[in-house]
Amino acid sequence: MPYDSYLHMSSNQETFASHLDPSKESSTDVSSVDLSFLPDELNQENTEQTLTEGKQGVERNHEIQGDPSRLQSVSEKNSNGICTDNFNLSNSGSNPLPTENSTLPSPENSSSSFFPLTSMTPLMPVTPVSESSGIVPQLQNIVSTVNLACKLDLKKIALHAKNAEYNPKRFAAVIMRIREPRTTALIFSSGKMVCTGAKSEELSRLAARKFARVVQKLGFPARFLDFKIQNMVGSCDVRFPIRLESLVLTHQQFSSYEPELFPGLIYRMVKPRIVLLIFVSGKVVLTGAKERSEIYEAFENIYPILKSFKKA
Amino acid sequence: MSGGGRSRCPDCGCAELVEDSHYAQSQLVCADCGCVVSEGLLTTTFADEGHLQEVTYSRSTGESEQVSRSQQRGLRRVRDLCRVLQLPSTFEDTAVSYYQRAFQHPGLHAARLQKKEVLVGCCVLVTCRQHNWPLTMGTICALLYANLELFSGTYLQIVKVLGLDVPALSLADLVKTYCSSFKLFQASPSVSVKFVEDKEKMVSRTLQLVELASETWLVTGRHPVPVITAAAYLAWRSLQPGGRLTCSLSRFCKLAGVDLPHPAYLRVQELLDILLRMAGQLAWLRILNLDKQTVVKHIGDLLQHRCILLRQAFRDEAEEEEGDEQQQEEGEEAGSSTLEMPEKKRPASSPPPLLPPCMLRPPKRPCPTPADSRVTGEEDISDSEIEQYLRTPREIKDFQRAQAASQAGTSAPITS
Repeated sequence: MPYDSYLHMSSNQETFASHLDPSKESSTDVSSVDLSFLPDELNQENTEQTLTEGKQGVERNHEIQGDPSRLQSVSEKNSNGICTDNFNLSNSGSNPLPTENSTLPSPENSSSSFFPLTSMTPLMPVTPVSESSGIVPQLQNIVSTVNLACKLDLKKIALHAKNAEYNPKRFAAVIMRIREPRTTALIFSSGKMVCTGAKSEELSRLAARKFARVVQKLGFPARFLDFKIQNMVGSCDVRFPIRLESLVLTHQQFSSYEPELFPGLIYRMVKPRIVLLIFVSGKVVLTGAKERSEIYEAFENIYPILKSFKKA
Repeated sequence: MSGGGRSRCPDCGCAELVEDSHYAQSQLVCADCGCVVSEGLLTTTFADEGHLQEVTYSRSTGESEQVSRSQQRGLRRVRDLCRVLQLPSTFEDTAVSYYQRAFQHPGLHAARLQKKEVLVGCCVLVTCRQHNWPLTMGTICALLYANLELFSGTYLQIVKVLGLDVPALSLADLVKTYCSSFKLFQASPSVSVKFVEDKEKMVSRTLQLVELASETWLVTGRHPVPVITAAAYLAWRSLQPGGRLTCSLSRFCKLAGVDLPHPAYLRVQELLDILLRMAGQLAWLRILNLDKQTVVKHIGDLLQHRCILLRQAFRDEAEEEEGDEQQQEEGEEAGSSTLEMPEKKRPASSPPPLLPPCMLRPPKRPCPTPADSRVTGEEDISDSEIEQYLRTPREIKDFQRAQAASQAGTSAPITS
């Protein structure tokens, strides 16, 4: 679960050669992280680097907060799930770096002097965590389109491919599925293709390439043009119940709450242009993003609003 | 008719050109100096119509002036609906104006007739909501024989398109209206005397139960009507438990002459759970070991003290957290034992948290692990991986044969 995601991220960050696009990949941000365990000169370097770093689209306070203030904001019991245990562990006493629970300066700006440290311990990068929420929305679905740039014979594709279904009376496209990554594609006779179901941008691109490769192997001169992410859907849980009736009163111009029609509140955020579905259980679904940062930014914008409705 | 936007008079340069006719010939004449700018060449749709020449309807002036037949029918239906619902006359005018405004929007102007019918209901609903007149979408859909999906789509569209500010359905008013529609207030052949109830008492107790439900998270996110049905049922039973404890929810709805919404069963159970927890806080009720049937007898007492009982019965998580944080700070400084803070300290059998039922149920399945983030999207794709998705030539032949056989089978007459 969320804790596991940190482990994955940490092993990822060990390979500094990986040039993941910082805007796409969950990049590290040490703005809210306690770096007191690092020797002074490294600490200094680090703060400068984070201050000069510009994160795309995510407006966040880049100040490094001291211990006590951060402890308070993060120590809310289990309501913010992820960060609590990790940060508590890393702050307890003077021990050097318990294995999973330390924090890491961002890879793109790390100088070679940091390498020895990282090779000793798998340091854990901090994903876009704002000092206020500590919750990261998980991406659930990515919809992308690509142009294969050749006319396709859908009947032939349906005949030669095992994973394709084609019912021209119902829908004028072949529905093809692959197992890894688990995605579905709609392939039209014009050569345009829609790929859905991937959990990240890279996986969506990989899946689209696999579909294109299948079409190629079927004998069509398929290319891979204009790959574009059209929509991204993320979800997360704030872990406390929300008074939707009050939220719709105070944010009337953005919210639509009709319990007769739908149990959730539909919040249309203007900047970034994201639609959020907010439910009484505290679960939030964010959709309409073209970039990952928009989802994170939207959640950081809505979290203080939701927190103000925390008390019944 | 002025010719604004056309050329200027060559003599005086004024733009006020008037269309005039010299005998039968139309002329364009300057209004200031009287110079004839042009003649015999002018035709406008208006002029054409005047000269009895054909002009397409969409370009004619008639369309914008007259109200189309479809719009007229819609406006008539709006008025009829307002009369059927016995709404005040001011509502009618507001609803009509909304319909006219909506009709001008291209999306709704060219919509199918079915949608225009539903639009009638949407305008009436918006009007009622804005005047705090409790009207549910279910009622309107039933009156219009419309399906709720189409209604909801049209309603959300019209709210967005017209930029309307629609307040929420007022629950208190809905309770009063809904309860007033019950047929339990007079004895009749179907309603025996022991089932008859005083309207005021019933409405006030139902209102209190609905308030209790909304405080305990039973109303947020749920359809309002089943909550009210459940509250009315419990209120009615508690007012005279003697003869009514054995009456079931479906029988109650039949007596009252209202439809039984399916979620009402669950709401009754949830309300009874809350009431039982509250009863556990009252000393004289704790010894009685109440269950879901017997607690109904004491609903009156419970409602009377509901504020205190709720606070005692349920731990408020948010207040607890603040208390704990203060505890931490104070504890660290003073180093005192926790006995000094008895109220904040949680007892061994702690009261349950006050949460919506969906948060109290255990999660159905564990959260799926997030994907490995090492993917770049540019990895190599092995041939074998792709080939697993392709049919071998033999499989293709088999598939084609099977397809042909099934088609032949369907086209041939079915034999036993």
